[in-house]
Amino acid sequence: MIFKIEDVTVYFPYDNIYPEQYEYMVELKRALDAKGHCLLEMPTGTGKTIALLSLITSYRLSRPDSPIKLVYCTRTVHEMEKTLGELKLLHDYQVRHLGAQAMILAIGLSSRKNLCVNTKVLAAENRDSVDAACRKRTASWVRALSTENPNVELCDYFENYEKAADNALLPPGVYTLEDLRAFGKNRGWCPYFLARHMVQFANVIVYSYQYLLDPKVAGIISKELQKESVVVFDEAHNIDNVCIEALSVSVRRVTLEGANRNLNKIRQEIDRFKATDAGRLRAEYNRLVEGLALRGDLSGSDQWLANPALPHDILKEAVPGNIRRAEHFVHVLRRLLQYLGVRLDTENVEKESPVSFVSSLNSQAGIEQKTLKFCYDRLQSLMLTLEITDTDEFLPIQTVCDFATLVGTYARGFSIIIEPYDERMPHIPDPILQLSCHDASLAIKPVFDRFQSVVITSGTLSPIDLYPRLLSFTPVVSRSFKMSMTRDCICPMVLTRGSDQLPVSTKFDMRSDPGVVRNYGKLLVEMVSIVPDGVVCFFVSYSYMDGIIATWNETGILKEIMQQKLVFIETQDVVETTLALDNYRRACDCGRGAVFFSVARGKVAEGIDFDRHYGRLVVMYGVPFQYTLSKILRARLEYLHDTFQIKEGDFLTFDALRQAAQCVGRVIRSKADYGMMIFADKRYSRHDKRSKLPGWILSHLRDAHLNLSTDMAIHIAREFLRKMAQPYDKAGTMGRKTLLTQEDLEKMAETGVQDMAY
Amino acid sequence: MSMEKRVKYKSSVKDRGTLGSLKISEVMLLFVPNDPKSDLKLKVQTHNIKSQKYTKQGSNKPPWLNLTNKQGRSHIFEFENYPDMHACRDFITKALAKCDEESNKSVVSTPSEQLSMAEFELRFKLLRENSELQKLHKQFVESKVLTEDEFWSTRKKLLGKYSIRKSKQQMGLKSMMVSGIKPSSDGRTNRVTFTLTSEIIFQIFAEKPAVRQAFIDYVPKKMTEKDFWTKYFRAEYLYSTKNTAEAAEDEELAVFLKPDEILAREARQKMRRVDPTLDMDADQGDDYTHLMDHGIQRDGTNDAVEPQNDQHRRSLLQDLNRHAAVVLEGRCIDVESEETRIVAEALTRAKQVSKANQERLERMSRAAEMEDLQAPQNFPLAPLSIKDPRDYFESQQGNVLSEPRGARASKRNVYEAYGLLKESILEIRMTGLSDPLVKPEVSFEVFSSLTRTISTAKNIIGKNPRESFLDRLPKSTKDEVIHHWTSIQELLRHFWSSYPITTTYLNTKVAKLKDAMSNTYSLLDAMKQSVQSDLRHQVSLLVRSMQQALDAAFQHYESDLQRRTAKIA
Repeated sequence: MIFKIEDVTVYFPYDNIYPEQYEYMVELKRALDAKGHCLLEMPTGTGKTIALLSLITSYRLSRPDSPIKLVYCTRTVHEMEKTLGELKLLHDYQVRHLGAQAMILAIGLSSRKNLCVNTKVLAAENRDSVDAACRKRTASWVRALSTENPNVELCDYFENYEKAADNALLPPGVYTLEDLRAFGKNRGWCPYFLARHMVQFANVIVYSYQYLLDPKVAGIISKELQKESVVVFDEAHNIDNVCIEALSVSVRRVTLEGANRNLNKIRQEIDRFKATDAGRLRAEYNRLVEGLALRGDLSGSDQWLANPALPHDILKEAVPGNIRRAEHFVHVLRRLLQYLGVRLDTENVEKESPVSFVSSLNSQAGIEQKTLKFCYDRLQSLMLTLEITDTDEFLPIQTVCDFATLVGTYARGFSIIIEPYDERMPHIPDPILQLSCHDASLAIKPVFDRFQSVVITSGTLSPIDLYPRLLSFTPVVSRSFKMSMTRDCICPMVLTRGSDQLPVSTKFDMRSDPGVVRNYGKLLVEMVSIVPDGVVCFFVSYSYMDGIIATWNETGILKEIMQQKLVFIETQDVVETTLALDNYRRACDCGRGAVFFSVARGKVAEGIDFDRHYGRLVVMYGVPFQYTLSKILRARLEYLHDTFQIKEGDFLTFDALRQAAQCVGRVIRSKADYGMMIFADKRYSRHDKRSKLPGWILSHLRDAHLNLSTDMAIHIAREFLRKMAQPYDKAGTMGRKTLLTQEDLEKMAETGVQDMAY
Repeated sequence: MSMEKRVKYKSSVKDRGTLGSLKISEVMLLFVPNDPKSDLKLKVQTHNIKSQKYTKQGSNKPPWLNLTNKQGRSHIFEFENYPDMHACRDFITKALAKCDEESNKSVVSTPSEQLSMAEFELRFKLLRENSELQKLHKQFVESKVLTEDEFWSTRKKLLGKYSIRKSKQQMGLKSMMVSGIKPSSDGRTNRVTFTLTSEIIFQIFAEKPAVRQAFIDYVPKKMTEKDFWTKYFRAEYLYSTKNTAEAAEDEELAVFLKPDEILAREARQKMRRVDPTLDMDADQGDDYTHLMDHGIQRDGTNDAVEPQNDQHRRSLLQDLNRHAAVVLEGRCIDVESEETRIVAEALTRAKQVSKANQERLERMSRAAEMEDLQAPQNFPLAPLSIKDPRDYFESQQGNVLSEPRGARASKRNVYEAYGLLKESILEIRMTGLSDPLVKPEVSFEVFSSLTRTISTAKNIIGKNPRESFLDRLPKSTKDEVIHHWTSIQELLRHFWSSYPITTTYLNTKVAKLKDAMSNTYSLLDAMKQSVQSDLRHQVSLLVRSMQQALDAAFQHYESDLQRRTAKIA
């Protein structure tokens, strides 16, 4: 359908539209007009992504003189693929209606591991070794060497790409990673470098958060994006965590050992160069004197991760004299490693601010703050000079230098915590020194400053006023949309007791109680026998899930479940989990139905949808609180309390409930879909916990469903499923329109009635 | 629809054969040799094929398919593997069935088709299973009103579907875990005994390729089959007690406990065809915070899991996933062999991951759409394999009738059962709840008579007041009515489908049918007379509609006859 929002003609690829999608577009347009940032919460299952994409692409079409670029950030690669899938649909529609002028170039961007087509490089196991294998074939000095020595192996794809030079362009279209690989293979061009090259020409770029938020990656990939870009963070309820993760580093004993080995290697290389090519080291020294940390003319294949500190914090001055000479720098690093080794040898937990850490480092190891700050740049320069290609081998020293640079750059918003062992496993000594960032606004600040509009959106952003504070920005639009329901297609329930009336909870003192475990099991046994198709269960942690499944296996509950449905489980092995998910979907497709066990803060909860028949019921076992005794969490809570006056308990509950809401929210995809949500813990019945759930769940949570036992829940589930099986009018009844047609929209535009749906 | 397979073509059994590819479409088979110089190109029209023979899987012969054409020449194709051959065989069978249908349509006047043995058996089986059909068959075919082929030609669907579906549907696997096999012990010694069935062995082999490989390697060269399984369960026991130190010493025991290499390889292969919107491995390759030691380690969001030692990483969760995957896959081979080795080898061969890229992309684009924002799409429907609900009710009725106590009960009708129920409710009201709530006899009575009511109601199509009356008829009369109704339907179906009459064959057929119908007409009259006077009115109401249908047919017959004679004149 094609309609107008104020002066913008919107091309929407479906015949109908939800009223909330329309409203969402209106708000989004206002934010774009105002060139400001916005914060939009809209329940899952109302087609956020397609509404967003179609408005922004249509907006672009309506302003041909100042074309905006869309930078769409997703949390995971599979969400990226999903977004590109929807964009394809939209693009086809727009091209059908508008012809060539609607053509855009949209690319997904990922690492070498996901884009490489060279089979020899791909044979490497993980991302870092793929990166290194690629570098071994594409680094400028390797390629220079190959002109003299024909035995040096190069990558044909990269050579062809380089040969094509500026002619290596992607024709307009929407490219998923798979499409990019196929294109690259077909043309013989390297898809990775091609995609990176196309970033500056693309109208839509889809990639993961890190490419914008993590300075190490953003520094090389997103450097050249223009200000007239709209940045979207989808599923952004965890964005604060991504921000603080991007600036946190930790050092373990193995890191130190590895770093020492790296230094030995570097030392040898330096000696070798001194003997054979002393001029090169001298050239580097001269460059450093002139104040250039890095050569400016690095070719794409030589780039390694960028500076871990944020761009505006990086000093633009000469590298201090005491680390200009390569061997002096190695000495400084040795002293640093030694000092860190001593600090790791502690028996107690130590917490320190960066300032005091730097001063004690200065007094005991004689390393100044400014020196620390330049560690990263100096190392980078040295590695380039020494022509080191196997970068994966040098990760430990890289980590230590990242740590040094960060600790030297930031005085507040961070703390250093040294723990001799993991609190939960005190018998295993595993000392760790962590530099952890508490201030989420640090990492995202450059993004807000650089781009004209940043859109933060998710299904769960409640309480919506908290996010501007956590990220310290002022949105021009901040709205939370309700969901207009054609029928009551979600059925949240709070289960507080088992059939035997014993309370159930994952509270620490209760979770391993055999009664609770049994009641949890019985709930599932009963449910799988009445719920068709897919059932998803979320547990609070891997270790809890492990334990409870083992018990269910011993007591025969698992066998009872398996008589009804197949069981698939998320494990910490991603390959296994992916296959389990794939099988789960196939089991649901073939009508047999299945159960999927997953973890609330795990990878699956993060971005896999259990829509339609893939999930008719979600059981959330327990409240997914963070491990509250964690020192880092404590430090962060303290920081939040001091700077934002956010109470500890409030933040913890907020965090747990957004996690729970995120888990259960995955069952709904559209209004035609339906699903039940069971919160199985007695603590959910308390008002202070429950009220933190997003409004669209709360509005369906009836008072009668707040304190259920297993048998009552079964009864309600039966009734609900029967009701959902009845035919209904999709367009909505009783004057409440939940599905708008073209006509409806035109009528609305005429009369100016905006809130027809509510 | 067509398919292509790589085969070896042989003109006779002794022939060494020519390599090439076989293309099959619905109308013909085309063999093209790999060697372009060879002139062994072969074309066979599908309708020319008379019969096909093939080698049984499991015999030590290679997978051969032998096609004989109507001229009596035979062509032998040797396939690369059994699944290929079976696929081709199924395809040809279907194409043949289609050809048959078409030829039947075009030449109805030559009804004496050659029947294959299999088809005959199928018909016989259908008759045996369905008493109604048998009765009709007896009535019309044996009395020569209809020929055998005429009778079956209206039931082509029944034959076709049955034959295809029966060959396709396979038994699933049990959902029980292999680790759920509990040994039996004799109670006196520490010895335990495991009873292994071929199904369990199949499941173990399917779930644990390493065990399968070990079996192929060790048995019978190194140990006997019994020793092998003893070792296997010993290893399982050691694993369950976490006593793996002992296992590590024994080379053969260690085989069972090692992480499964074959499984890991298969997993890598499967990863290539998973839906990219599910691929979490791609994430791991993308997310730069997973750079070693970057990001937050111990803030309590990430789970702390004890580092396990590498050798015994296999966990219950993995076993569960693996088990569910195997059950989902089902029996991928159709080897019905007691010989364990054959099963193991067949499984090894069958484990080839097919590429389904296209389907994957289609699925993805479909998932991207929002279903209720657009006009409904009509996806192809998959046929459900549900048995006729009538079978259930009939079998229930049979049960009730066959029991001695049921014989008495069957005389009672619903009202009596209702009365009984009412009585017991009254009793409860007077005396309060007792244990058991309802006497078993009462509930049984109510249940069985309800079943009977439902089943009789199902027997007659549609619902109108006359049907309830059927139940009040004596059983013999009722059966007679129903029988007449079905036979009239059968006759009418043949009658109307013969028009317009174009050949003499149809002419004689219609004449025969008309005679049979008038016969039935008089039978109906006779039945009307014979029933008791109080039921006569109702029966005549029932019979009237049948007679009306017959009258219409007679009328058409007469007018048509007149028209034709007039034409000839």
